Amino acid sequence: MTKPKDGARKKDDALVVLKDVWKIYQMGEVDVPALRGVSVEINKGDFVAIVGASGSGKSTMMNLVGCLDTPSKGRVFLKSRNIADLCESDLATLRGKTIGFIFQQYNLLQNMTAFENVVLPLELQEVDDGAAGKQAKKVLRLVGLEDKMHHLPSQLSGGQQQRVAIARCLVGDPEIILADEPTGALDSVTGKDVLNMLERIWKEEGKTVIMVTHDLHLAEYAHNIIELKDGKIIRMEQNHKKVLH
Amino acid sequence: MKTSKCLKHALNMVIHSKLRSWLTILGIVIGVGSVIAIMSLGAGLQQSMEAQMSGLGGDILTITAGFSRGITFGHRRPGGSGSSSSTATEEEVVLDRADVQALKSIPDIELIDTNIRGTVKIYYLGKSGSVTLTGVDQKVWSKITTTEIRDGRMLGPADMNVIVIGGRLADSYFDKPLGINKMVNIEDKAFRIVGVLDDSSNSIIMPLQMAYTVLDDKENGVYDSIVIKIKNEDELDYVIEKIEHKLMMTRHVADKNRDFTVSSSRQFQEMRSEMLGSMTLFLTAIAAVSLLVGAVGIANTMFTSVLEKTKEIGIMKAIGARNKDILMIFLLNAGLIGLVGGLIGVVFGAVLSGFMPMLMGGSMPMTRGGAATVVSMESVVMALSVAVIIGVVSGVVPAYNGSKLKPVDALRYE
Ligand SMILES: Nc1ncnc2c1ncn2[C@@H]1O[C@H](COP(=O)(O)OP(=O)(O)O)[C@@H](O)[C@H]1O
Ligand SMILES: [Mg+2]
Repeated sequence: MTKPKDGARKKDDALVVLKDVWKIYQMGEVDVPALRGVSVEINKGDFVAIVGASGSGKSTMMNLVGCLDTPSKGRVFLKSRNIADLCESDLATLRGKTIGFIFQQYNLLQNMTAFENVVLPLELQEVDDGAAGKQAKKVLRLVGLEDKMHHLPSQLSGGQQQRVAIARCLVGDPEIILADEPTGALDSVTGKDVLNMLERIWKEEGKTVIMVTHDLHLAEYAHNIIELKDGKIIRMEQNHKKVLH
Repeated sequence: MKTSKCLKHALNMVIHSKLRSWLTILGIVIGVGSVIAIMSLGAGLQQSMEAQMSGLGGDILTITAGFSRGITFGHRRPGGSGSSSSTATEEEVVLDRADVQALKSIPDIELIDTNIRGTVKIYYLGKSGSVTLTGVDQKVWSKITTTEIRDGRMLGPADMNVIVIGGRLADSYFDKPLGINKMVNIEDKAFRIVGVLDDSSNSIIMPLQMAYTVLDDKENGVYDSIVIKIKNEDELDYVIEKIEHKLMMTRHVADKNRDFTVSSSRQFQEMRSEMLGSMTLFLTAIAAVSLLVGAVGIANTMFTSVLEKTKEIGIMKAIGARNKDILMIFLLNAGLIGLVGGLIGVVFGAVLSGFMPMLMGGSMPMTRGGAATVVSMESVVMALSVAVIIGVVSGVVPAYNGSKLKPVDALRYE
């Protein structure tokens, strides 16, 4: 991860590049700047934690990286493609194939079983049923929930629901995993489990993980830490404890 | 996403839908149900009428006094109660022996039956009721009538104090069924039943001479109607013309002040079925309004449902759903609501239409022939497709709105 100098050539393995990104929300008459000139490069295989106080713009930044939103100013590149150039359905496909989301509130569809939730991204990509089912079972096994796959979210604990969400995020074999406060709704023990799982996936599957958290202890899991304050990056450093390992 | 998968998710949505969706479905059920019921009733009446028509044959003509260019219902005597005759003169126009004589000179006519008709009181075992009595020329009637005898016999030339009665009068009018050789009192005279007609009418047929004595407002030698059977059915129109010509001459009237009507049962039935057709259409239109209300209900529910599912839309978009996937799911959902409502509505309508003739049996003359309703495949297919189309159309705007939501905004929605 580097802070790009203006005009500097992007490195080939830079997966996500933000260049002087601004996001300004309109609240009636007033403009609320959520991001103010953020520039960052995230390389393939990075494990990045974004920290900062509530309201500092962490989720906003995540949403831009995840192609859920577009910047008011500046450019966002994903795999060297400017997301402003992509149409709605290309963005959707990009989200489906390249990115996996994990949310604080799990965001499972309540009327579907764990299995149906997990297989949904593949259905959206029109993967055929046989292969999709196999893949969904594989990732459910990976998160240790193969015996609960026909349960509805309401029949699962918070930690189990988040593991279903992780399985759903992994099922499409994405290059980037975006986790916005993945442990925010969990107790510390379950939260640690979830983070250990994320770390394992990062290590074993070679994914790029970007995680938002306001808990500095949890940020310790990451190798790079970006700190936001009032929509600006105020700190960007390597986590020496981890790198030394 | 494949359409089949969209359908699966749409179905899942219907299955898990709240009471509100079911109430919406109820709106469609009522709309489709009433359309089906009315259409089936109309088709049933049409069918029984066609059966009657073919039974009546095209070789029967009825002459009534008075003239109307429109449709004549029944065979009422002009000047009598509520006649639709256009002869608004004070002088009463009637049919009498002179007319019969004139008709007898037309060679194309095979049989002539003279009728009078009225309402009489009938008494049986201490109970009484009021039914229609027809006095017929018993020598001809049995040859001219199209109704069959179920029990007993037709009226014979020598009959006096005997009657033939309709099937319903025999079976269920009185507490105990009436049968052959039972005695009944009509007004103040006793009559013996010799035959029961194979129909479901409440009518009484008796020899003309006896009918004159029972119906004391009728004058001997004056008829309410003259029924004619012609020799060759194919010459119907020609014979009608001939009869009209002849009668105009003998009655000394011209075309413009004509005072009698010749109607063929065929013409009459055709007109009646045309009338019935437009009445059915009219009622269907009214029922269609309730379908429209149902459509507004679907649109309303879809708007609420899209709003309620905003977060889910956001989630689906985050994991790769395109606008068109969302659009498709919601459109199919709306279509399914229409379809489910339509299916239940068809069943409901079919059941309802089964009860309808019973409900209006007494008041509708057409249903007296024991008309069963006919739920045609056409009307079912039509109602179902209309229901689905209504669902989809009412779902278009809400589904489109839902599909256009920005993923971030949708995800933030609580
Ligand atoms: N959709 C929105 N409309 C208006 N203001 C918003 C919206 N989303 C975020 N904001 C504002 O932008 C700022 C950053 O929000 P966010 O990125 O969610 O912060 P964080 O995730 O770090 O808590 C906050 O002040 C928040 O109120
Ligand atoms: Mg946040």
